[in-house]
Amino acid sequence: MTEPLIQLKHVSKVYGAAGRGRGEAPGVTALEKLTIDFHAGEFTAIAGPSGSGKSTLLNLIGTIDAPTHGEIRFQDRRVSGLGEDELADFRLRQFGFVFQAYNLIPVLTAVENVEYPLVLQGVPRAERRARSLEALKWVGLEREGDRRPDLLSGGQQQRVAVARAIVHRPAVVLADEPTANLDSKTAAALLDMMLDLNKKHGITFLFSSHDPVVLSRARRVLHLRDGKLQDEAV
Amino acid sequence: MLLLAWRNLWRNSRRSLLTLASIACGVAAIMFGQSLIKTIQYQLIEKATGVITGHIQIQDRRVKELKYPEKSMAGLAAIERVLASDPAIDAFEPRIAVTGLVSSTKDCSGVLIVGVDPRRDPRVTTMSTYLRQGSYLTGGPRELFMGDQLAGALGVRLGDKLVVMGQSLDGSMGADNYRIVGLYHTGSVTFDKSILYVTLASLQETLAMQGRANQFVIRLREPERLQEERERLERALQALPVKIATWREIDPELVGVQSYQNAILKIVLAIVFVIVALGILNTVFMSLFERVREFGVLKAIGARPGVLLRLVLTESCMLGVLGGAAGVAVGSALIRYYGEEGLPLPLGDTLAYFLPFETVLHLRFDWPTHREALVAVVVTSLLAALPPALRAARMKPAECLRHR
Repeated sequence: MTEPLIQLKHVSKVYGAAGRGRGEAPGVTALEKLTIDFHAGEFTAIAGPSGSGKSTLLNLIGTIDAPTHGEIRFQDRRVSGLGEDELADFRLRQFGFVFQAYNLIPVLTAVENVEYPLVLQGVPRAERRARSLEALKWVGLEREGDRRPDLLSGGQQQRVAVARAIVHRPAVVLADEPTANLDSKTAAALLDMMLDLNKKHGITFLFSSHDPVVLSRARRVLHLRDGKLQDEAV
Repeated sequence: MLLLAWRNLWRNSRRSLLTLASIACGVAAIMFGQSLIKTIQYQLIEKATGVITGHIQIQDRRVKELKYPEKSMAGLAAIERVLASDPAIDAFEPRIAVTGLVSSTKDCSGVLIVGVDPRRDPRVTTMSTYLRQGSYLTGGPRELFMGDQLAGALGVRLGDKLVVMGQSLDGSMGADNYRIVGLYHTGSVTFDKSILYVTLASLQETLAMQGRANQFVIRLREPERLQEERERLERALQALPVKIATWREIDPELVGVQSYQNAILKIVLAIVFVIVALGILNTVFMSLFERVREFGVLKAIGARPGVLLRLVLTESCMLGVLGGAAGVAVGSALIRYYGEEGLPLPLGDTLAYFLPFETVLHLRFDWPTHREALVAVVVTSLLAALPPALRAARMKPAECLRHR
């Protein structure tokens, strides 16, 4: 068995816990003592009803939020204690993000959106344009590069978001309910595309969903309920 | 970064255009105000130095009252030699200026009597250009050139004789008859009613001051090099019992007016800057609140806090630079227009009481101060954007992404 890519050890997240004084309402526990390992090349779904802690778990893994208790290790390196700039650089190198609401930058074209992580990495203009067009080709949008997000359909916007998430070859793509705003046909197409990228290019995908159709495509499914890991299916 | 900042600026084009318009109006108003004040100051200084004070004066070392020097100098030739060899000096003349009395058969009046060299004075002062009737001093014996209001008050006309009295060097009163050869009109009550000009030679005779004068009046080629020239003259004349005084020392009231106007200008500028800053602050904060989720996305995908700080500051700087450039264009057009057409200034009548002053101002550019204003607007736009920019930089990505 290879070393885990990501390790969560007794990780808890309580909202409103910091600065709580005597007599104040207790914080809301979003995750409670989770211990999970993720390996490179996984195509893993985090399932559970709304409020079960799926988004919180992805946020903690992606270091855009910090755990209240416990430890997260990435390639056996502790990430919890990193500073703001170090965390930003870490995310830039290791993660790609896909959000439920697409979250593309509306004033940039599709290809400029895809390019943005490479701009932050300081990749030269010509190289980043070539890599962005290649990423758009992977998601089947090579002809839509010059369009702004408002001229793309929801499915197309989410595919641009996937291209932006993979363009800089991250170790892991974290996708929070990526199909929630899409119709079932488009959702299935997006899932197939993600699965294809996972198989062909070895990109690790961790995504959340509560849609059984989506979950059926995952090779590993973690079920969360009330912030606790209920069971795991492989 | 620049591309993103530029496009962000035009997300809400109406709001950005309104902010740009307010900055442009502010800059144009500042430029116009600067030009107005500086033109008034320029004219005040030009008139004051041009009609009577000169840029620099040389007086006896013992003089205490620079405006009305109570001591006179002998050995004028030595001073003349130094001044004549100084390339920075455009023109100069020895002069006697004393307070005295002038009387006609009907009335008398206290006056400032100025004895000038009629040949050289037109190059040193502009008094000869205010001739209304008759002629300027020609150099003949006991000629008198006076203001038309004084002539009216004394009930005299061109060609009439007047008795001019002043204090002689020995303390006694010297008096002589002078004939009016010319009347002038400057528009200034102070000049037209209380200053009269005679030839230096005649006044020296009347006051028993042959070979003496109580001031050398100097006009410089480059008035802005006043201090430099003063220091040079001090070195050149250090062996003589004289002192050098610039118009700023001789006419401190004028310097006071200048300082007062500059202070008012600064207060007005500060108010305009506050208005500009509040406009920018409002625009940047509005734009920030609309993009909180977007900042969260940028942070999530790896933008450092400094990237967002720079992004917001760049957008604000662009607003400042664009608004400033538009303001300079509008301000320049206004100044150019009123520079050619002239701006009627009712205040000019008040100022003209003390000095000859044009009541129609032809505005002038004053680029050093305009540049300061433009830089201040850009700096203001950056400072105004700093609080929202810092806020954007400090926001936690997860909190931003949860923002509705």
